[in-house]
Amino acid sequence: MKLEKWLPAAAGAVAILAVLYAVKAPPKVRGLDLDAFGHLPVLEGGRVKPIDSLARNTLLVIRSQQSFAFQGRTVKADEWLLDTLFRPQVADEQPIFVIDDPEVLALFGLQQSRNRYYSFKELRPRIEELEKQAQAAGRLDAKQRTRFQAAAVNLSERVYLYWRLQNTVQVVGSPGLMAELATAGSPESAERARYLSQMAHFRPLPPLSGQPVEAWKSVGEALSQKEPHPGLTTLARLANAYTFSDAQGFNQAVGELRKLGAAWPDLASKASQELYFNRIQPFLAGIVIYVMALLLVFVSWIWKPQILQPTSFALLSAGALVHTLGLAYRIILQGRPPVTNLYSSAVFVGWGAVVLGVILEWVYRKGFGTAVAAATGIGSLIVAHNLANDGDTMEMMRAVLDSNFWLGTHVITITIGYSGTYLAGAIAIAWALRRHIVKDPDPATSKALYGATYGIICFSVFFSFLGTVLGGIWADQSWGRFWGWDPKENGALLIVLWNAIILHARWGGFARERGIMTMAIFGNVITSLSWFGVNMLGVGLHSYGFMDKAFWALAGFSASQIALMGVALLPPRFWQPGAFAAEQQKAGAGTR
Amino acid sequence: MNSLDPKKWAHQLLDVLTSLKLTILCLAMLIVLVVACTLAQVQLGTWGAVEIYMRSWLVWVDLPGGERHVPVMPGGALVGLVLAANLLVAQLRRLELSWKKVGLWITHAGLILLVAGEFVSAAFQVEHQLVFEEGQTVGYVEHRQQQELAIVDASDPAVDDVHAIPQGVLGRRSEIPLAGTPITLRVHGYFRNAQLRNRGPADPPAPATAGIGPMVTALELPVESRDDRMNTVAAWVEPVAAGRSLGVWMVSNALSAPQAFTWEGRSYQLLMRPAREYLGYSMTLKKFSHDRYPGTEIPKNFSSLVRLQDKGRGEDRDVLIYMNQPLRYRGKTFYQASFGKGDTLSILQVVENPGWLMPYASTVLVTVGLLVHFAISLRRSMKRRDAGAAATPKQPQTQGA
Repeated sequence: MKLEKWLPAAAGAVAILAVLYAVKAPPKVRGLDLDAFGHLPVLEGGRVKPIDSLARNTLLVIRSQQSFAFQGRTVKADEWLLDTLFRPQVADEQPIFVIDDPEVLALFGLQQSRNRYYSFKELRPRIEELEKQAQAAGRLDAKQRTRFQAAAVNLSERVYLYWRLQNTVQVVGSPGLMAELATAGSPESAERARYLSQMAHFRPLPPLSGQPVEAWKSVGEALSQKEPHPGLTTLARLANAYTFSDAQGFNQAVGELRKLGAAWPDLASKASQELYFNRIQPFLAGIVIYVMALLLVFVSWIWKPQILQPTSFALLSAGALVHTLGLAYRIILQGRPPVTNLYSSAVFVGWGAVVLGVILEWVYRKGFGTAVAAATGIGSLIVAHNLANDGDTMEMMRAVLDSNFWLGTHVITITIGYSGTYLAGAIAIAWALRRHIVKDPDPATSKALYGATYGIICFSVFFSFLGTVLGGIWADQSWGRFWGWDPKENGALLIVLWNAIILHARWGGFARERGIMTMAIFGNVITSLSWFGVNMLGVGLHSYGFMDKAFWALAGFSASQIALMGVALLPPRFWQPGAFAAEQQKAGAGTR
Repeated sequence: MNSLDPKKWAHQLLDVLTSLKLTILCLAMLIVLVVACTLAQVQLGTWGAVEIYMRSWLVWVDLPGGERHVPVMPGGALVGLVLAANLLVAQLRRLELSWKKVGLWITHAGLILLVAGEFVSAAFQVEHQLVFEEGQTVGYVEHRQQQELAIVDASDPAVDDVHAIPQGVLGRRSEIPLAGTPITLRVHGYFRNAQLRNRGPADPPAPATAGIGPMVTALELPVESRDDRMNTVAAWVEPVAAGRSLGVWMVSNALSAPQAFTWEGRSYQLLMRPAREYLGYSMTLKKFSHDRYPGTEIPKNFSSLVRLQDKGRGEDRDVLIYMNQPLRYRGKTFYQASFGKGDTLSILQVVENPGWLMPYASTVLVTVGLLVHFAISLRRSMKRRDAGAAATPKQPQTQGA
């Protein structure tokens, strides 16, 4: 068979198989079956999840990563959680606290260096000082805190989370859960049980048969009960086995705990499904595939286009498939429409843009559909990846948001509007760069790009408008105001207005190809401001700290788009002598 | 030639009013206003910023140092009106009445309705609150920001005789007769917002001569527009009957101590309270529920189980008001808004907007209009593509279905 026939299909298949390979269980560490441990269902944040999710999300909050290097090897989240729970003296040495703020570092007598990660042991001597600073800052409104204060509050919250985690199963410094069970009933033991139920970060003990499905118990609560929970002794054995590296005992205890959880087969199987989702990380895999597609399409423009262009398209399609399945998996796991928070909106915006791009490429077959779709997909998934640092991305919905109907209509349409506006902006950028890079751009491709941009802007104006007014109708349904001039509503309105201006400028003939393309690039700025900018306004434009990074990222992105608008406005190949004169001549000829 | 020809002028004006450039200018102005209004909300609160930028004909700015303020740009109301006029006139004058343009006709009609709806809301929407505890029956709703001076004659144990004077009337009129009584109120002073404090020895003499007023000094403050802050209204009134003064009384919503004057054996209570609107029916809070997700403080749902009794209409039934599920009854809509007192008190937001259906109709119109228009354009460009393909040889011609 010919190379151009089978290479695209092979590339796509390899990409998908590589993604699926990640489901494979990780190897045992010191003989411990961490895979089975990860499946254990627990209740945290109002929902039942695999303990693997809890471990990953907590480590993500504390360290901004799901694993770390320690003593020459990689420690994954599950193992870190076990150490934190049962071997606090080991966990305290692991560098898990990411600290970027130089003034907070100074508080601990540390100097900023290339190392951004610190262990609890390093922080412990000055932890009281941190608490004092954080408490003082906590009295202020979040808007009024200085950069240092915001960072101090943030670190103290992470330290407290770590402390709660350590005191979820057994009190740090006590002889452990086994001893606790032996001395049950003594006043000191009751005191410790109370402390445990106060601190518990999650609830590991499933409800017994006959109890309501919400009746998960923390260790402290179970210890305070008259009738001991059967899971307590198993958990105690697991703790002992892990502390003393008894792999066989550990694996046996995990097996028994899984049997206990299996009394709720729906919850247990859902927890397992979520674990596989965690392993596949489809959106991270999507980034990798899109990057490969983008690089390949660049290469295809200078070398072997007839083979590489279809291959890059196949990779893009494979990425889109992984992205789509990831979204579908999330929808099933959560039982909700795809967009429930800022994180999932970024995933969905990328998805919408990629799907539109796949259609474009299908129609035009010139490679630019692949390029802009891959670029938009990469950008939005990276944004999503950074937004995931807040912890659980499948958190429960607060009361007023708890409406699948409105999440499924208003939120979806408005996010599709974002996708369209970004894709139009991306095509316009491609159009602008192409004018400067390609020596003799053929007018047909320019025209195709222009036509695609116009069509997508029509598409976006429709979805942005519909999404905005559906939001108004939701507001009317839930608090009686169709339009409240709320910042988020205003942001949505800005996108509609801007796209409407572009369309009217085209219909009136006030802007031609170049003008429309320049305006389309500015659509990126408007959409980003309305998507993220208004959220920062809520926190306060002058608040620093955690939102600081996002603020500068947004400012940087907007500046880059405005620079690209300048590039779009310059005459083609403006660095060549005579480019401006030629442009003027052409314009003169046009008016005559 | 004759630049003063009124016909020509009218023509030119019509040209301007129907031009697409004016449309774009209005849209651009709206963008500026929306951005300014959004940023201003950080300082002024939502409704304060909306009053300045959106619900105004002109946006005024204070000149530094002076008392003067000057208009710097048209406000949202003016831009909205011009945009609606532009849409309407351009539609009638320029766009031909053909099936090709039917999508635009529908879209623009919907947009005019949307703008009109916002004008109706700005003019007629009234918001109240209904606050009740479990077991309590309430037959009125209260305004959140507006106060009223209530003069209550509670001499009849069966029925209270209430005279309510809205705070605006206190500011406008100096003499207010109380209908059905021989008493007339003279208004000596009125602050829309004030700070009250105990009178110190250095303070100027108090205008009040009776009640708690002589011991209180009020300092006038600028009016608060932020939704989350309350204004303290203060006024000095002198009830006069048969030419005799019954003392000058200070009234304020910040004074909780009861004050009353007596005339001809009847005692009249003076109360500054949130302005009330009587419903003509009653609502009883049977149960308020605040559900949380297990093991967290994340709210899952708020709901009020309410007994609605309307003797006039023979209604007596239970209704459950919860998130995204309001009660619509006799032109008012009751929403679950807030709660308090350890989850035994419920606060409902009560909204009355005669134009509430306009945005719904407009949404349907614009959506259908855009779909129709884009479908027509798409079909036309497909035809053009096919025609182009047909012009090149060897391509089989397919006519768009």
